[in-house]
Amino acid sequence: MKTKDRPIGAVLVVGGGIGGIQAALDLAESGYYVYLVEQSPSIGGVMAQLDKTFPTNDCSMCILAPKLVECGRDLNIEVITCSEVLDIQGKPGNFKVLVKKHPRYIDLDKCTGCGECVDVCPVERPSEFDQGLAQRKAIFRPFPQAYPNAFAIEKEERPPCGLTCPAGVNVQGYVALVSKKKYQEALNLIKESVPFPGVLGRICPALCEQRCYRGTIDEPISIRALKRFAADYGKREESIPEVKARKEKVAIIGSGPAGLTTAYFLAKEGYKVTVFEALPVVGGMLYVGIPEYRLPKNILEEEIEGVKRLGVEIKTNTSIGRDLKIDGLFRQGYKTVFIGIGAHRSRKLNIAGEDADGVIQGIDFLRQVNLNKGVKTGKKVAVTGGGDVAIDAARVAIRRGSDVTVLYRRSRVEMPAREEEVAQAQLEGVKIKFLVTPIKVLTQNGKVRGLRCIRMKLGAPDVSGRRRPIPVEGSEFDLEVDTLIPAIGQAPDTSFLGDSGIKVTERGTVEVDALTLETSRKGVFAGGDCQTGPGVAIEAITAGKRAAESIIRYLKGQDLRRGRELEEEKLNGSRTTTPSPFPLWEKRKPRQKMPILPLKKRISGFDEIETGFSEDNALKEASRCLDCGVCSECLQCIEACKAEAIDHTMEEEMAELEVGAVILCPGFEEFDASLIPQLGYRKYPNVVTSIEFERMLSASGPYQGTLVRPSDKKPPKKIAWLQCVGSRDASCNCDYCSSVCCTYAIKEAIVAKEHVPHELEATIFFMDMRTQGKGFERFYERGKKEGIKFLRAKVYQIEETNGTGDFPVRYLDEDGRIATAEFNLIVLSVGLRPSKETVETARRLGIQLNQYGFCRTMPFSSIETSKPGIFVCGAFSSPKDIPETVIQASAAAGSASTLLAPGRNTRTKIKEYPPEIDVNEEEPRIGVFICHCGINIGGVVNVPQVTEFAKTLPNVVYAENNLYTCSQDTQERIKEKIMEYNLNRVVVASCSPRTHESLFQETIRETGLNKYLFEMANIRDQCSWVHIHEPEHATAKAQDLVRMTVAKTRLKKSLKPLSLPVNHSALVIGGGIAGMTAALALADQGFEVHLIERSSELGGMARRIYYNLGGEDVHSYLSHLIRRVEEHPQIRVYTNAYIVDAYGYVGNFTTEIMRYRSRAIEGIEHGVTIIATGAKEHKPDAYFYGKDPRVLTQLELEKEIAKENPDIINCDNLVMILCVGSRNSERPYCSRVCCNQAIRNALRLKDIKPEMNIYLLYRDIRTYGFYERYYQEARQKGVIFLRYEPEDKPRVSRRKKDGEYLLRIEVEGLVLGEKIAVDADILALSVPMIPPEEAKELATFYKVPLNEDNFFLEAHVKLRPVDFATDGVFLCGLAHGPKSISESIAQAKAAASRATTVLVKDNLMAEGIVCEVTEKICGGCGICDVLCPYGAITVDQKKNVAVVNEALCKGCGTCASACPSGAAQLRGFMRNQISAMLAAALTEA
Amino acid sequence: MPIELNELDTRFKYDVADEPGGKNIKLCFACGLCTASCPVSDIDPEYNPRKIIQMVLLGMREIVLSSGFIWLCAQCYTCQAHCPQNVNFSDVMKALRSMALREGYVHPSFIDQIKEIDTLSQKLRHQMVVSIVDRKSKGVRVDPAKLAEEALKKGEWRREDKG
Repeated sequence: MKTKDRPIGAVLVVGGGIGGIQAALDLAESGYYVYLVEQSPSIGGVMAQLDKTFPTNDCSMCILAPKLVECGRDLNIEVITCSEVLDIQGKPGNFKVLVKKHPRYIDLDKCTGCGECVDVCPVERPSEFDQGLAQRKAIFRPFPQAYPNAFAIEKEERPPCGLTCPAGVNVQGYVALVSKKKYQEALNLIKESVPFPGVLGRICPALCEQRCYRGTIDEPISIRALKRFAADYGKREESIPEVKARKEKVAIIGSGPAGLTTAYFLAKEGYKVTVFEALPVVGGMLYVGIPEYRLPKNILEEEIEGVKRLGVEIKTNTSIGRDLKIDGLFRQGYKTVFIGIGAHRSRKLNIAGEDADGVIQGIDFLRQVNLNKGVKTGKKVAVTGGGDVAIDAARVAIRRGSDVTVLYRRSRVEMPAREEEVAQAQLEGVKIKFLVTPIKVLTQNGKVRGLRCIRMKLGAPDVSGRRRPIPVEGSEFDLEVDTLIPAIGQAPDTSFLGDSGIKVTERGTVEVDALTLETSRKGVFAGGDCQTGPGVAIEAITAGKRAAESIIRYLKGQDLRRGRELEEEKLNGSRTTTPSPFPLWEKRKPRQKMPILPLKKRISGFDEIETGFSEDNALKEASRCLDCGVCSECLQCIEACKAEAIDHTMEEEMAELEVGAVILCPGFEEFDASLIPQLGYRKYPNVVTSIEFERMLSASGPYQGTLVRPSDKKPPKKIAWLQCVGSRDASCNCDYCSSVCCTYAIKEAIVAKEHVPHELEATIFFMDMRTQGKGFERFYERGKKEGIKFLRAKVYQIEETNGTGDFPVRYLDEDGRIATAEFNLIVLSVGLRPSKETVETARRLGIQLNQYGFCRTMPFSSIETSKPGIFVCGAFSSPKDIPETVIQASAAAGSASTLLAPGRNTRTKIKEYPPEIDVNEEEPRIGVFICHCGINIGGVVNVPQVTEFAKTLPNVVYAENNLYTCSQDTQERIKEKIMEYNLNRVVVASCSPRTHESLFQETIRETGLNKYLFEMANIRDQCSWVHIHEPEHATAKAQDLVRMTVAKTRLKKSLKPLSLPVNHSALVIGGGIAGMTAALALADQGFEVHLIERSSELGGMARRIYYNLGGEDVHSYLSHLIRRVEEHPQIRVYTNAYIVDAYGYVGNFTTEIMRYRSRAIEGIEHGVTIIATGAKEHKPDAYFYGKDPRVLTQLELEKEIAKENPDIINCDNLVMILCVGSRNSERPYCSRVCCNQAIRNALRLKDIKPEMNIYLLYRDIRTYGFYERYYQEARQKGVIFLRYEPEDKPRVSRRKKDGEYLLRIEVEGLVLGEKIAVDADILALSVPMIPPEEAKELATFYKVPLNEDNFFLEAHVKLRPVDFATDGVFLCGLAHGPKSISESIAQAKAAASRATTVLVKDNLMAEGIVCEVTEKICGGCGICDVLCPYGAITVDQKKNVAVVNEALCKGCGTCASACPSGAAQLRGFMRNQISAMLAAALTEA
Repeated sequence: MPIELNELDTRFKYDVADEPGGKNIKLCFACGLCTASCPVSDIDPEYNPRKIIQMVLLGMREIVLSSGFIWLCAQCYTCQAHCPQNVNFSDVMKALRSMALREGYVHPSFIDQIKEIDTLSQKLRHQMVVSIVDRKSKGVRVDPAKLAEEALKKGEWRREDKG
C-alpha cells in the first residue's frame, strides 16, 4: 500500500468514562495512537462516583483507579480534558477532527496536585462529583484519584456586578474574600482597580447592585456596604507596593477623584506625578462637595494619604491659568498633562432677584460649609433642584437648624437624586414640594424675603426621556423664605484653556477621544466632570484609570487603542452578560440592613449617619453572593501555588487532530427526576436519586460513608427504592427500560443494610425485576435472603408527613389491596439517557439518533453508527451496565483496529532507553530524594531533618529534599545527581508507589539503571496525612520509613524479566456466530486463524434462529458470515474436530485436535486462544414436553413458524410459559433472551393471524433496553400477559373431550384473584440455554475456570469480561452466558480486540518480580502448586522440586508466603531484604 | 371454578380499543398505579381499575359492561395523568359506559342522570370559583351547602342542550 493511501494509525476516542478508557487502552496496546477527549477535567466518568459495583460488590473506585493510572501512563494515549469535539470531516481511515479545548487555567505540566490552592479559594460550589450533596471550591479536582492528577478552575462569564462597575472592580472577588474573613486581601483586590475603597464604599451609587443576580431571587447583595467594610477592616495591615521609579514626569491638574486616580495608577507604574490643586484642600468635589455626614473627612484624607505614599506630589492653592499655563507645564519638563478640574461652576436660575443677599449657589454653599467658612444659613431656606447637590444642601441646612423646603419642578419619579437620600432627607424634616418652580426672588432691601413660585404639570417626554414640566397658568403663589439655595446644575470652568490648543465642546466641557481621553492637543488628556459634565465619583475614577492607561501607553510610545475592546464595549454599553444559572432552590435570605445613627443624633450634627456593617453583618451579607462567575478571580490561588501552575489568562484553544477512526463513548446522564413532580425530588431533601445515594454510601462521599439522611443527618431505619423513574414511562418520553436500575437498586439495598446492620428495612418497589445479567439472578436471590423486601407495585406519589422528613407511601399490594408503609428515605432509581451535549454533538457530526436521542446502530452490530469509521460504545447506544460497556469498548477498538490495520504502528511512540549498566557487583551508592509535596508532607514532617538523617544512613552517598519530587524539573535533577554521584540505587520518600513508582522507575532507566533498583517510601499517605497533629512523631516515623527503605535498597539487585516470543496465529474454538466473528476480526487484520468446530457445519445456535426482534434476517446474515469465513485465506476451518489436549502459555500455545472421522491427531501452534464454544437448549422434563406433539420449546416453535406449519399458524389459542427450567434451584440463573424470544414468536404469529389468542405466562418480563418497545407492541397487538408466582406454577393437564385430548393450562390469575384456565392448541415453553458438556474439559486444558452454572468465568466480571486470569485465553458468545446475537457479536469482536493486543507483539515481557525456588531446600510438598492461581508453579516429579514457569508467574507472592521450607521466594521481595527492613524498623533511632 | 378463557369474548379488548378514548387499553402492564392513586378505591376497596382493565383484556364483556363499577369512576383524571403507559383509564371508562348503554346493559335515563350529576358538580365548582374571585381571592372559605342551594334554585345546572 502506498503511504498516501495508508490509513492514519491514530484513533479519536470521545468520552473518558470506563468505555473510553478501555477502548483507548486496547488501541494503544494494539499499535495505535489515541486521543482521548473528555469534557470534564478528569477521566473516570460515572463509574468513579459509584460506591460498589454489582454483583460482586467490589469498590468501584478501587477497580477503576488502576485503569486511570494505566491510561495516564501510556505513552500512546493523549488525554485531552476540558474539551469537546466540534467537527469531524473526511472518510474512514482519514478523518480531520476539530477539538475545542476550554481553558483549565492550570498548567498540567506544572500542577503537582498538591491541593494548596484549594485551601485559599473563597468560592464554594456544589460538587458535581458528590451530586451536590457536598461543596467543592471553584478550583478543584473532581476526586482524589483523578487523572490528570491536576486541579482545574471553573469560570463562567464575568459576573454582572463586575461587568457593570464602570471601573471594573472585581466585585465578586472581594465579596468572596470578605465571606472568608480575608479583609485585607479583599481591600488589596479593590485597590487593584480603584484608589478609594473607603470613599466609594460610602458614596458610590453602586450600579452593580442594580444588576446583581441575587436581586432576581430576593434582594441584591449590599455590595457598597461590603466594600466599605473591606476598606474599614482591611486597612490595618496595608503595605506600600514596591515600584521601579521612572524618570518621566506627569502633571495633573485637579486633585479630585479623576486626577488622583490618574496619579495613583501612574505612580504605581513608577512615574513621577505632580498634582496641581487650586483649592487649599485636596480631594476636589469629594472634599468640598460632599457633606461630612456622608463622607467623613478622615476617611478621604487617609485614602489620599495612600496615594501620596506612592510618591505623588500635590501642590495646593496652585491654579492653572492663574499661576501657571499648560504650555508652562510642558516647558517645566512634564511629558504629559491630565486635566481633571471637575465642574465647580454653578448654573444660574435666570430669574429676577437672583443676585440678592441670601441667595447662595448649592455647590458654593456646600464648599463653604466643608471648608468651615462661616456661611450663614437663614431660618427658612428654600432649595431648588432635584439632584444630589440639592438634597445634600437641604440636609446640611437642616443640620444647621433651618426650616428647609425643596422645590422641584417635576414629580418624585423624575427626581435624579438617589432615592434613599431623598427618603432620609424627608425623615430628617426636609419638606419637598414637587411640580413647583420659582419664577422670581422677592426681595426687601436687597435681601431675600420670599419666592414667587408657579405650579407645573408634566407634558410629553423631552430629550432626557423624562416628562417635560409645563407651567400651569395662574397657579402662582408666594413662599416666605430668607435664604434661597439654587442647585440646578454645574459646569466646568474651562476659561483658562483659552489659547492652549485644547478644544471645548458647546456644553463647555473639554473635548476628548471617548476611549483614550486624549484632547485635541497631543499629550494632553482630560477626564471626569470637566469632560462629562457633573457625574458621580466612580465615573471620574474610571476616567482617571483610563487616562492613566492612555498616558502610560503614550509615554511608552505604544498604540493608545489596541486591545481595549472591553473598555470600549463598556463605554458604549454593548457588553452584556448571562450569568450561570443559579440554584433555583436557593433559599431567600434577607439583605443585611446598614446600621444608622438615631434620628435625633443625626440631625444634631455632622456625624456619619451610616455606621457601617459589623463583622457579623458583613459575613452574613457576603455569604448571600451566588458566585455567578464561579471563580471570583480573587487571585489567592496564584499566591498559594508554589509550582506556579495557575494562569488565569488562559483562553479557549482549537486543535485539529488527524485520525483514522473515531469511537464515541460519551456515556449517559441520569434522568432528571424533578420532571415527575409528584415524586417530590428537589422538594424534599430526603428524596434522593440512586446516584446521590451512591455518594451517600461512599466512604469518600459527603457523609464519609455513614449512612444518614440529608435532612437531619440521622440514620434512616426504613428506605424505599422506587424503580422505573424515567424508565418504561411513556408519560415522559422514556418508554424504554434502563436495564441497570433493578440490579443497582438491589446492590444499594444490600450495601445500605451493611451500613446499618440489623436495623435497616429496605424495600424495593418494582414492576418487573430485571436481573437478566450474568450472576444477577443469584444477586436478586441474595437480596431476598438478606431481608430486602421486594414489592411489586408502582408508587404514585411521595408526600412528606409535615416536617418529619418521613413519607407514608401508598401502593397497591399484591392482593389488590391499597396499603401504606412509612419510610425515612426515598431513593429514586433514575433511568439513563444521553446528555443534551451528547445529543447536540452527535447531531453536529451527522450521527443518526433514535427517538430518545441514543445513537442508532446498525443491525447485528451494536457498535457501528450510521457513519462508516465512527464507532460507538457504552450507554450512548443503549442503556447498559459496566461489563457490557467494556465489551463494546473493546469491540469498537477491535473494529477500528481492523479498519486501520495497514496503519498500525505508524503513529505510535516508542521510548528508547540507554543500554543497561550492570551494577549488581558494585558497592551500593544510594541517592535519597525526599519530597515536601508542597505542605502535604512538609507542613507536618520536618523534611530537612529527615534529609540530614538520610545522609547518615549506610551506603547513602547523596540526599536532598524537593518541593515536589515528582515535578518534571526534579526528574532532570535526579538524573543529574545519578550521574554526578555515580548513584546505583535510588530511593524516593514521598507518596504512593501506586501512582508514582513507574514515573521514578522511568527516570532512573533513562540513566541506564535497571528499574528494579528503585524503591519508594510512603511518608505522605502513611505518615504526614495520618499523623497530621503530631509533627514530631511523624518526623520520627518518616525517618524510620526511610531507614527501612534504604536498608532494603542496599540489597536490591537488577532483575531481568523474561522476554517471550509470540506466535502470531490464533485458535478459535467454536464455529458459531461468536467464533466466526472473532476469527474474521483477527484474520482481517492479517493474523492466521484456526477455527475449530465440533459439528459438521458452521453456524451454531444461530442456525435455529430465523428472525431477530426488529425483523433482521438472521439466516442470510449467517450464510454471509459462513461464506466469508470459509473463503478467507487467513482462516483454516476444522469441522468435525475436537480438542484432545492443550499446553503452553501466552504467545506459545500448542493444541492437539482430533477429527471425528480420521481419528488423526493434529497439533496446532498458536499465540492466543479464543473460547467460543456456545451453549445449547435445555430439554425440559415437564408440561408433557416430548410426550405431546403440541408442546414445543420456543426454538422449535420458531422453526415451525418459519416452515409455516398450518397446525401452528392457524391455531386459535396458543399459550407460552416462560422460565421453564430456569430461575429455579437447579438453574438459578436467568437465560436473558427468552422473554424477547417469546415476544418475537408471539409477534410473528400475530402478524400472520392477528385474531389468534396468545397467552404469555411469565414471572418477570425482561425486555431490557429498547426491547421494551416489542413488549409494548405485543400488548398493543393483543397478546395477553399473565404473571405467575414460582411457588404457584401454571399447571398443564390433558383431558379428553369429543374424542380428543385437550391441552388444559391453569394459572392463578394474580390480578383478578381467581384461577384462569384455557384449553390450548399449542403450548410453547421458554427453556434456558445451558453450557455444553465439553466446557469442563476445555477449562482444564486451558487452565480457566467455570462458574457454578458451568459457563466460563471471566477474569473479572466488571472490567475484564472477555479475558481470563490466564493470559492469552479469551472468551466470547454463549460460552460466557446467555445473550443475544448482537451481544455475542460485540463480545466476539471484543475478544478479538483483546487477542490483538497479544498478537501484534513480537515479544512479551514477563513480570520481573517473579517467584524463585531454591532447589536445595525445596521439599517438593506441592503446597505452592495447589495455591498458585495462575498455574505457574508445578512440582517436577522426577527431581521432586517445585519448578516455576516465569512466563505464567504474576508475582503475587502466594507461594512464597505458603512455602514451609522457605524455598520459594519473590524476587524484589527476597527474605534478606524483608529481614533488613524489619531490622531497620526495630533499630533505636 | 376457574375463569374459562375459551368461553370468553376475546374480541372485547379490540372493541373497547376502537371506542373513542379506549385506544390504549391494551398497553396496560398492570403496574397498579391507577388503583393506588384512585380516590374511589380509597372509599370502596372493591373498586379496582387495574382489575377492570384485565377483565376487559381477558374478554369478560358481560361482567364488565353490566357491572356497577364502571359507573363509580369520578373522572378525576388522576390515574390518567400519571399512567406510565398512557392507558387513559378515565377515557376507557367513558368508552365502557357508552358501550354498556349501546349494548343495552343500562337504561338511557341512567346515563342522563349521571350526566346531570356531573354537570351539577361542575356548576358547583364554577360557583365556588366565582365566589372566590368575587372576594378578591383572599382565601375566603365558601359554604358548599349554600352554593348548592343557590345552584339548585336557579336550575342552571341542567344541561343547556336539553332545551
